[in-house]
Amino acid sequence: MKQRITFIQRVDAGFDPEQAVLTASSLSVRNLDAAREDRITVGLAELPEELRTVLEQSNELHLRWASEGYFDAVAPFSSRVSPGLHVHYTPLKSESSSEALCTLLRTVVAPNKDAQYKDCSKLEESFITPPLLSTRFASSASLQYHTHLPSIQSLVKYIQNTVCDQSRTDGSECRTRADALLSADSVDIDYDSISQTLTVSGLWTSPPTGGWTDKFQKPASPTDQIEFGLLGTEAGLEPEEIKMGGLLAVVGQDKKLKPTMFSFPSRHQPLTEPSSYTVSFASPTGLHPKMSISMPRSSLKRPPAPSDTTCALHTYLTLPSTIFGDQYQLGTTDPLFLESHNLVSLHALAGEMDLEAPDWVVQRWGSNWLLELATPPEAEDAASTPGPSNWTATIPLHLRYLPPSETGYRTAHIPWPVVFWACTAEDDTKMGLNPFDRTNLGWDGLFGPRTLFYQLQPAGDHLVEEIDVPVLRLEGDGYFQGRYIEFGTCVAISLGFLWVLWRLARVAWSSGVGNKRAEAVHDKKE
Amino acid sequence: MALFNSPARVFFAATALRLILLVYGGWQDAHSAVKYTDIDYMVFTDAARYVAKGESPYARDTYRYTPLLAWMLMPTAWEGVASWSTLTFAFGKVLFALSDVLAGWLVVQLLIRCYRFPVERALRYVAAVWLWNPMVANISTRGSSEGLLGVLVAALLWATLTKKPVLAGLILGLAVHFKIYPFIYGVSILWWWDAERDGSTVTSSGLLSKAWGFITPSRVKFTIAALASFVALNLVMYLQYGQPFLHHTFFHHLTRIDHRHNFSPYSTLLYLSAAGGAETRFEALAFLPQLILVVIALPLVLAKKSLTTAMLAQTFTFVTFNKVCTSQYFLWYLILLPFYLPSSSLIRKPTLGISAAILWIAGQALWLHQGYNLEFLGLSSFVPGLFLAGISFFAVNVWILGIIVQDGECAGEITVALK
Repeated sequence: MKQRITFIQRVDAGFDPEQAVLTASSLSVRNLDAAREDRITVGLAELPEELRTVLEQSNELHLRWASEGYFDAVAPFSSRVSPGLHVHYTPLKSESSSEALCTLLRTVVAPNKDAQYKDCSKLEESFITPPLLSTRFASSASLQYHTHLPSIQSLVKYIQNTVCDQSRTDGSECRTRADALLSADSVDIDYDSISQTLTVSGLWTSPPTGGWTDKFQKPASPTDQIEFGLLGTEAGLEPEEIKMGGLLAVVGQDKKLKPTMFSFPSRHQPLTEPSSYTVSFASPTGLHPKMSISMPRSSLKRPPAPSDTTCALHTYLTLPSTIFGDQYQLGTTDPLFLESHNLVSLHALAGEMDLEAPDWVVQRWGSNWLLELATPPEAEDAASTPGPSNWTATIPLHLRYLPPSETGYRTAHIPWPVVFWACTAEDDTKMGLNPFDRTNLGWDGLFGPRTLFYQLQPAGDHLVEEIDVPVLRLEGDGYFQGRYIEFGTCVAISLGFLWVLWRLARVAWSSGVGNKRAEAVHDKKE
Repeated sequence: MALFNSPARVFFAATALRLILLVYGGWQDAHSAVKYTDIDYMVFTDAARYVAKGESPYARDTYRYTPLLAWMLMPTAWEGVASWSTLTFAFGKVLFALSDVLAGWLVVQLLIRCYRFPVERALRYVAAVWLWNPMVANISTRGSSEGLLGVLVAALLWATLTKKPVLAGLILGLAVHFKIYPFIYGVSILWWWDAERDGSTVTSSGLLSKAWGFITPSRVKFTIAALASFVALNLVMYLQYGQPFLHHTFFHHLTRIDHRHNFSPYSTLLYLSAAGGAETRFEALAFLPQLILVVIALPLVLAKKSLTTAMLAQTFTFVTFNKVCTSQYFLWYLILLPFYLPSSSLIRKPTLGISAAILWIAGQALWLHQGYNLEFLGLSSFVPGLFLAGISFFAVNVWILGIIVQDGECAGEITVALK
């Protein structure tokens, strides 16, 4: 087992050498004002049986969880996914359907009864296949899943019950570490069959009140290791590089903290100027809600990417099955439609596209959409032009019918999409090595390997929109009961049927069935 | 009014109205993000593009029609100079609009020849109900294919009333292949076309000879022609496009569960039962009242008295008792109204006619208001709003249906074979 603890201090954060003390057996930090990433790497053999079974069937398994709350992503951890749990999975054998993964997922998500959770009994029924723009970008997993997940309490409990109990000596330490994940802003879990290791990373973009105070003991087993880093970030010499400097140490091995300075290419780059966006649905939402993505015009300057790259603003939507886009409406090339919504084009889509099915018929979790957004014309960049200070792109969406409820409404939870600049270079060689690299986010695989991403920061306290979806109101007792509808319809149809029959009978009675009327016969005789 | 003296003027005005709408539609499409063109037309033209590329029209999601439609619209897939493409794009709409006018012409001819209407009177009714009806012109120029059904039904009536059994059968087969519902007319036409209608005066007595007498040359020709054209068309399409053709053209319409709100009285019940909240499976029997009336009772009682009134009543009943009903369905019976209205009690008794019109519109308005609340305001108006509105609209329709049935007793066409 390997641990890597990285603290990232902002430029303006103060640091006193007393705050990080390394001894022969431990390292302690005190009141440290920094963002923090913990990364634990575990070999397959060290894992409990249940988890190992799942992983042994996997070629790749990547879980990405992001909190619904506000957090300020900091370089080199500036990449984001929409809130909730994302699963990217490639089975070892393409036809093998792993029920074990579904069982694991259900444990981790622990859906409550009313959640619009797409249960997965078979992977191929609830997972979607992400689009492959080109086989050369084979970086995306073959199956994908997402679910609304405000808290990872069940995941933490699962880790404590299975992983931690196995550990011999550091059981309580393990449980403390797992508990800490509850306050993380984002959690990544990665496994691939080549390395045969499982990596769990937690990211806290801001310290707890009073700063980080923690003590890391030298591991008991000689095979285990704890790496420690206290770093600051600045722009690299090249636009695609990030430069970091600070102190590094391996606990129990190094005698003192080693000053260091290094730089590396990074696909995820911070935007140098503050840039944010907000997401909302115009009220009333009706059955056809329109998603608005608003950005201050000042947020929309071309990122500082190399001049030979092409930059375009994108948004990547993760929509649960309750809400969907019409691929023909959004995929149009009609400039009038696109201009009126400040869209450029729909680049990729995957998942549940049915335009008519109600939610209870849809088996897969939902859909993903990559759209290129328009940016204000260059002339307006001068900021001298009057007009609204916000630039808004709108995406027309539609709601599915949801099952009846007692109140006549159900809530659809729609995570905010991510918004980012993608700057693509002609060159399609692989990116150089980056110790903090992050891939398998869903949207990154839709671009070439040398693309640089600059993400805008979502500015809101709650990054999930909640829409009231009108549904049939049904009560156990009271005025709104299913049987009244059944009875009422039955009576109305029967009365209508009998009324028409009665009218027909009267006609038949007075002139006989099938007889022609007198005049017609009379006419014929003429 | 002098205008109605001249068929040329009436048809010129009808064509001009459609031409203006076509040009206006093209202008709106080019200048506004809100399109004049119907979404369905985009489906047809997408499908035509697939066909032009040698692929199946069913490669387009929600294409649920015969491949004939996509074939007919192949010119819309012609790519060329930009200015040409707007013209070729409108090809289908022009076709639908021309079918409208042709349907109107056929109805006028029938009214004059078989119903002995003076030209002016015939023109006045057809213009009011169909040719100058802005709703009809709007639907076809927006690119909805319902107009094609109008011309097929008018042609079917024309071939029947002018005693061309083979042609009538061929048209019926084609119409049923296009949209399933016209099969109901087959029953009425068969019952109507007795030996007497063929000019035979032999009156048979005895049950057996009566039964034997049912089989007349015209009925046999009509039936065989209808089956032949229906089977042949389906066979060709099946050989060409296989299972997807059968699924999308027929099975989809038979097996779909229309859980979305619509004018049908069954709408709320279907939502309830599709979501698994119904205790009985009453809606599974919905076809019974509908088909008993449409296929048995109405033809039996009305067809021999007045074929067109029987067909109108059939269509009205089919739409009223259907499990799904949208506003385009109302177009289905519009083409038959010019035959019925002139002698109907709705015209003879203006109070009755105006009450019927007001109630029908009020029923629509009530439903549309609830639909607006749901669709645009997001209010949960399924119960009691949409449920009661659907039932009320049904009640109004059934009441009007009763009037049509009653009128069927004393309305009729003169069906002397034309020499």
